[in-house]
Amino acid sequence: MNVPRIVIATVLGLGVLSAARQEPPLPVWDPEERSALEESGWVPGAILLNPEPLPDVPDAEVAEPVPPGLENPTDAELAVDESPPAPVPEEFIGDYFAARPESFLVDPQGLLGSEPYAERLGFLNYHADDSSIDFFIYVFGGDQEIPSDVRGEETIERFFSEGVPAAIVFYFLGAPERSIFYLSPSLTDVVAAPEQRRALQSSMMQAFSRTDPIDEFVAFSVQMSIRIYWMERMLSGDAVGEPPADGAAADLAAPVDGPAADQASAKPPGPLAEFVALVALPAALVLSALVTLAGLGFWLKVRARYRFPDFEVEPRLGGPHAAGIGAVISFASAASPPASQRDQVPDYLRRL
Amino acid sequence: MRLQSLTDAAGLLRRSDRDRVSAVMDRISGRFPQIFVAVYTGSLGEMANLRQFGFWLLNRAAFEDVPADKPNEAGILLVIDAESKAAGITFGYLLDPFIEESDTFDCLSRAHAYWLEGRHADGIVKALDHLALVLKKRSRQGRRDPERFERKVRPPVRPSELVKRLRDGHRKADTAEVVTHDDSERPSQPRT
Repeated sequence: MNVPRIVIATVLGLGVLSAARQEPPLPVWDPEERSALEESGWVPGAILLNPEPLPDVPDAEVAEPVPPGLENPTDAELAVDESPPAPVPEEFIGDYFAARPESFLVDPQGLLGSEPYAERLGFLNYHADDSSIDFFIYVFGGDQEIPSDVRGEETIERFFSEGVPAAIVFYFLGAPERSIFYLSPSLTDVVAAPEQRRALQSSMMQAFSRTDPIDEFVAFSVQMSIRIYWMERMLSGDAVGEPPADGAAADLAAPVDGPAADQASAKPPGPLAEFVALVALPAALVLSALVTLAGLGFWLKVRARYRFPDFEVEPRLGGPHAAGIGAVISFASAASPPASQRDQVPDYLRRL
Repeated sequence: MRLQSLTDAAGLLRRSDRDRVSAVMDRISGRFPQIFVAVYTGSLGEMANLRQFGFWLLNRAAFEDVPADKPNEAGILLVIDAESKAAGITFGYLLDPFIEESDTFDCLSRAHAYWLEGRHADGIVKALDHLALVLKKRSRQGRRDPERFERKVRPPVRPSELVKRLRDGHRKADTAEVVTHDDSERPSQPRT
């Protein structure tokens, strides 16, 4: 029977497991050998096999040391600006909120400066070319406040209900933590609120890693572009994993050597890249194979040589080389087409 | 009689036309290593017969620019009579089993419309292009079923040989009959 064997094997296995759970005792030096080694000046394993307990270390000494060169913040830095934010100047309200913006970057106050504005606008245009979700950024001053009579949700719903789905960010220059993120109505229902929140927080974290307001803005926009790409992939039903962690995203989005490198590193693989990977590349391979086959066929056709079996033909009509007299056609008149000349009568059968 | 494989005695072809026609002729000679194509244009006069002229020319001409390993038996001659406005094709014994008169007529038919308009080179090119197609087809058929083409050129049995075979057959039959008769009668012979 197998039952006794199973019982025995179980008992033995449990015994082995219980024995394995008991830690074997540490080796102990023989006193004579240890004294001999101490006289020689070095005891192998003395640190690990030291039976004496570690002396108590005060907590103050094990506290994390302050990195060199980093000083404590000053009182001015710790002071909180208690002044209330100023509203956006009245003359720019119309430029911001009167109509759907024609540009992806809305900065009527010129807060960014001409060169950063052009550079960021180029980036947003690139994003729009490569993504099915447009990305609009309204730039406000860090100490500015949107007037209370402007309701963001209503504005977004009014201007972005139609057309290409869009993600809109109200960005406060120098205060990325105040950024507000909106999605056009067609996206609000399909992109979960936590995902929107994570996208905003991730972009803020990227902005916080910079010190210059413009650099903050650049990092924010790049990270948001990446998050929008992941939203787009989720909407398209692709089996995507988690969006890249902030660190990875930072690696992807971090500007390396100026604006050009920034844009190059921030290019998310959009629909075009997916199309290339899924369709264009295999199609190109198939096409090249077909072209190769066609070329091979053409080459073989050109190189083909045709031969005839050589039969012995008895000479006729006294001709040593030829008696194969073929057809004759007259082209003297269009009134006698080839069809009327098909039935030819040899000359020697004609009545003279 | 020495002449070039492309002889434009009638002056129907310009230099560029000659180049085009020569190119087609060379292409046929390359694709069909056994054969060559010759084109002759001339004025044969009212009394001349185009068939007879083609037959005579292919048997008598020595084409200087044709390799020596290609005898006139392997030639296809296109003759155009500029005066009577007629054209004919003659071919050598090598192609006798493979080319029918209807094939040559089809080739000439392709060129008819061009020759009506005086575009002699275009007509020649069209005719030779179609000729190449016919040759290609016949070459394939010849390799697949050579017996069929060989049968067309097999010399006919002469009447005297036919009579001889018949007589031989009768003699053999008579002999066999006698032998059979002897064998049948042998058992019935009375024993002595």
